[in-house]
Amino acid sequence: MKEGLSFILLLIIAASILDTVTQLLLKSAINSLRVSVSGSLGKIIQFIMQLIRLPQVWVALFFSVLALCVWLFVLSRADLSLAFSIGSLHYIFIAFSSRFLLKEKVGFKRWLGTFFIVIGIVLVTIG
Amino acid sequence: MFKKKITLTIFLLLVFSDFLETFTQFCFKKSALAGSAAALNNLSGIFGFFQGVFLTWFLWLGFIAVALTFIIWSTVLSRIDLSVAVPVASFSYVLVPLVSIILLQEKVSILRWEGIFFILIGVIFVSLSSKER
Repeated sequence: MKEGLSFILLLIIAASILDTVTQLLLKSAINSLRVSVSGSLGKIIQFIMQLIRLPQVWVALFFSVLALCVWLFVLSRADLSLAFSIGSLHYIFIAFSSRFLLKEKVGFKRWLGTFFIVIGIVLVTIG
Repeated sequence: MFKKKITLTIFLLLVFSDFLETFTQFCFKKSALAGSAAALNNLSGIFGFFQGVFLTWFLWLGFIAVALTFIIWSTVLSRIDLSVAVPVASFSYVLVPLVSIILLQEKVSILRWEGIFFILIGVIFVSLSSKER
């Protein structure tokens, strides 16, 4: 690991942010379709076909590929269990961006749950 | 318009996409190991890294898993909040260390297991929060 731990940390955070952007774009695309998919395989295929016609999904794919490239570098240098654990910083990014950008109602239990996950991440990281 | 409650079907879909995610991580780690001999401080080194990575069939197996995960994940997101789906999906924090121990011979300390325990408590709270409204 000749690049050093801080370089790896920076890359993992970058991958997390790219991943958060991916999720936000995908979720907003799905929200814009205003459907709740359930049941048959045919309906799921129809939904996916509708979904991949939206430009946001392809922008999301672009960010996802970027995240993957960064992630591949990280995995070539760090333990999978360590890299995956620090990468979970995006739970915080997701909670805040869902609340403020997607206007989801994030109540007390959800913040508490996210807080526990953050504690867990810190323990996993120093462990 | 959107269902707020996590149903058993959605939870099972999330767990299944977690297994796929774990499988994807394993495949990517395997393919990244194939490129780890290359030095990444110059352009030809970076090119060599991706050459090594793209030649392994683990990478392509990983891509298939990603496509499957996309379909399942999109279906789930059409029914529940993003701020619920993402935390609940952290079940992979249990699966990934298990795979790391068994297949990659990595060490997972007691402290990391405690962290995993906290993450699971968090996931339970977030799941319950989907029933708030």
